[in-house]
Amino acid sequence: MNFDAAWLMDLLDSPPGADEMTDKLTACGFLVELREEGDGGEIWDVEVTTNRPDAMNHRGLAREAALAAGATLKPFEFELDESDEPSSDLATVEIDDPTMCTRFCARVIRGVAAASSPEWMQRRLANSGVRPISAIVDVTNYVLLEFGQPLHAYDLAKVGGARLIARRAVAGESLVTLDGETRKLEPGMPVIADAYDVVGLAGIMGGADSEIGDDTVDVLLEAANFDALSIRRAARKLGMHTEASHRFERGADPELPPLAIDYAAALIAEFTGGTVCAGRIDVRPRPWEPHELTTTASKLSSFMGLEIPLARLVEIANGLDLNPRTDGDTIICSVPSYRVDLEREADLIEEFVRHVGFDAIPARLPVLATAPGRRNPNWELVDRARSAAVNVGLAEIMTWSFIDPDSDAAVESLPMCPGQAVQLDNPLASTQATMRRSLLPGLLSAVRDNLNQGERTVAVFEQGRVFWFADGAPAEGERLAVALVGSRLGRDRAVDFADLKGVVDAIADELGYPNHRWRRGGGPWLDEAQAAVIETDDGKTIGSAGLVDHSMAKKWDIKTPVYVAELDLAAAAEEIPLPSFVELPRTPAVTADMTVEHPTDLSYADLHTVARELAGDLVEAIDLQTRYTGKGLPSGAVRSTLRLTYRAADRSLTQDEVNDQQEALREGLSRRLGVTFA
Amino acid sequence: MGLERLKKVRASFAADLAAAGSDPDAVETLRVAYAGRKSGLLQDLTAALRELPNEAKRDYGQALNELKKFVEDGLKQAKERAAASAGSSSVGQIDVTLPGRALPRGAEHPVHLVRRRIEEIFLRMGYDVESGPEIEDDWHNFEALNIPPDHPARDDQDTFYVGSNLLRTHTSPVQARVMERTQPPIRIVVPGRVYRRDSDLRHSPMFHQLEGLVVDEGITVGNLKATLETFLHALFSDDVQVRLRPGYFPFTEPSAEVDISCIFCDMKGCGVCSGSGWIEILGSGMVDPRVFEAVGIDPERYTGFAFGLGLDRVAMLQYGIPDLRQLFAGDQRLTRQFE
Ligand SMILES: [Zn+2]
Repeated sequence: MNFDAAWLMDLLDSPPGADEMTDKLTACGFLVELREEGDGGEIWDVEVTTNRPDAMNHRGLAREAALAAGATLKPFEFELDESDEPSSDLATVEIDDPTMCTRFCARVIRGVAAASSPEWMQRRLANSGVRPISAIVDVTNYVLLEFGQPLHAYDLAKVGGARLIARRAVAGESLVTLDGETRKLEPGMPVIADAYDVVGLAGIMGGADSEIGDDTVDVLLEAANFDALSIRRAARKLGMHTEASHRFERGADPELPPLAIDYAAALIAEFTGGTVCAGRIDVRPRPWEPHELTTTASKLSSFMGLEIPLARLVEIANGLDLNPRTDGDTIICSVPSYRVDLEREADLIEEFVRHVGFDAIPARLPVLATAPGRRNPNWELVDRARSAAVNVGLAEIMTWSFIDPDSDAAVESLPMCPGQAVQLDNPLASTQATMRRSLLPGLLSAVRDNLNQGERTVAVFEQGRVFWFADGAPAEGERLAVALVGSRLGRDRAVDFADLKGVVDAIADELGYPNHRWRRGGGPWLDEAQAAVIETDDGKTIGSAGLVDHSMAKKWDIKTPVYVAELDLAAAAEEIPLPSFVELPRTPAVTADMTVEHPTDLSYADLHTVARELAGDLVEAIDLQTRYTGKGLPSGAVRSTLRLTYRAADRSLTQDEVNDQQEALREGLSRRLGVTFA
Repeated sequence: MGLERLKKVRASFAADLAAAGSDPDAVETLRVAYAGRKSGLLQDLTAALRELPNEAKRDYGQALNELKKFVEDGLKQAKERAAASAGSSSVGQIDVTLPGRALPRGAEHPVHLVRRRIEEIFLRMGYDVESGPEIEDDWHNFEALNIPPDHPARDDQDTFYVGSNLLRTHTSPVQARVMERTQPPIRIVVPGRVYRRDSDLRHSPMFHQLEGLVVDEGITVGNLKATLETFLHALFSDDVQVRLRPGYFPFTEPSAEVDISCIFCDMKGCGVCSGSGWIEILGSGMVDPRVFEAVGIDPERYTGFAFGLGLDRVAMLQYGIPDLRQLFAGDQRLTRQFE
């Protein structure tokens, strides 16, 4: 909020310099964010927190400034001349609903003439960010800026029945507000009405029909207090935010209307040549009742970690107009009407901490039990996955958790689509309306954007959450997805399925899925020829991987082959068991190759499994050496060369032993699988 | 028997090869003896194929091919070794400034780099690292934190709604969840993704926070101050000044905004600190007794402090990234700067 620095200083006796004042204000909770040159002095942009409506005006801030800077607030004095004609003969005020309007003051000023406010007032208004308009409007704004009381001036001639009623709107009512907008009112909204119609949105904005104009002769002035919640709800519903609603929503001083309306009436009379009628109309169903708050110096001292003498607390309380009295170690404070934020002991304690100041409190680390910190298993898991992905050369990216519903719909056919999509009720954009059920749509968009940036090779991963409905309740799970495009990093070879599988296996192993297996499947998202589902050995699906299908790539406007994989981290092991040492071999290994010719529909996994079963204890490992299809082979046939590693723990094997083993294995394989040997 | 002979030749070649080492002359002699066009041993063995009965030819041929490959490979490697040991004289001076063969390197996203650094600082101080759901209920995100319906603070945290639930607007609901299930002493930090319905240069509808909470008997404002100073010194440098000034959060009272002296201009005033010399870095305060009441912790017995900061903001400050939304554009070039 903008403050006129000269005005603020003018309210104080013996104020410090501007630098010291801004520092002191900042230290007690009113950050001076910006100081700039205004008309005849500085403008200070001060951050007044939402719980302090009492300081959203010059006098309120000056009260804090006085205490913080050791200055004193000047007493406020003004003179009001009244005519003999009583206000109450000219207008009446009613409160129909005391839950929305707790006090309603009014005054009549007769015989005003169109005028401008004086130059000094216009300057203060302009420096505070309010445009000067006319004497009467300027006065209402000025009193708001000095005291914090919103005021409204009506042209009395345009107030039907010369009567103002604070009530709630009924069905079908509407109002053209001062800004020219037609507002449809909902039943229950707080309004001010005359004898016939609604003339203002209570505490938010007046109506255009009863607006002050150049031809206004008699002014009806309103200074009321409205219920914060009622104003807040109405302002929100109407999408309005005004100087008045800003203050009423946060809580205005119920004792302020009389002073504010008298001062405003005096100023209006002075500037417009009008006469203030006798007496103030003041309707209030219930008087304001002060309440007390109590704390003790010892509690405060141990809370702050600083010994505070009671005398210092009394000094602060006095500066805040809390009328303190003490009883032993206890300080009892009476809360002034404008401090709507002071409800509990904690609020009172805050006042003392604020004015003792954080700078004065010695920093002392807490003494805590010396237990080592532990990370939630979820963080351990996602970081394990992330570091595995980084270790295989991938760059981590982050994309939005909410995606285009269209992109999300494409996820339905994924083997890992978890359930029904979660839609946002109020998305920022229609393209960010659905919580992602898979990381793949976001990842594909990122791939496309990277390619459009001229990147030829993309090797990225994202780790993050996906969301869905499970039994009507929202659920979320951690995933990790990978995309490879172009050439494999560091090699001049086009990336292929085996590259993807190598990357995914490395990550899956790290996640504690050592016995995961790959099987064909995963279309139609993935190209049927190069698509796999990854499962644990008990058949739980933990991922899918493959070449993005042509139709999907097209949907994302990608022309380059993209290999993707997504892993569900939910089934990963919480902890990886420590590896146990196996005695190192002391005897040499002998390797022997075996070239098997078999139909392509015999998978390598099956061939390997059977070979492993048949191979004796002497076989330490069976690895794929080469694989060949094409010239010299019938179509549908493939030649797989296996390399077998033989080792006996207790002796060196002879070539004859190995040959015998190889021969036995050939026989076994041909019997079990009907394969031949090249 | 032919196969026996092949085996012997293989063994003798292996032995000779080992003996030749990286001596270029010895390697050449070896080549002539085994693979020489005119009188090499392999020539003889090939010729011997013709003498064999038909049924033996296949096995012999296969074994012979394997042997040939074995000899070729061995000779090739020996030649390379010889050339390499001859060094500058035969290969020429190596240009050591030529690029090496690059190995693939991965990189973490800067926000995670910052998260892990901060976690590490707190883990060393004995804090646990906690986690919670991103789709929250109103109770944990607002009500338990002393933000009842219609509270003005709900305006500042414009919320995405999912039916009766919402996307958490801060990591603070995890505080509430941990306090509901744990009695003090509690000391945790909670990093995580949060959402607010707001988008411009300084705001992103999705960002990341890290929240801290300590609850125990006798926790003081001085403890809060020292903890934040210790943390910020560890994160930035021991030279940064830390300033606490009163602020307002519904779930702490008193609350403090925490500034650090500008690390870019040495407090002289610059664009990053808007000329003030200070950078607002985190929000903090003493846990409001109402929060304790809401989660079932005795406010007469325990006090505590909480603090929170934006991880993205720290990443932007530390790495000089100008636009928050750039962090979520999925651009690998950004991440690869952090290899
Ligand atoms: Zn700076």
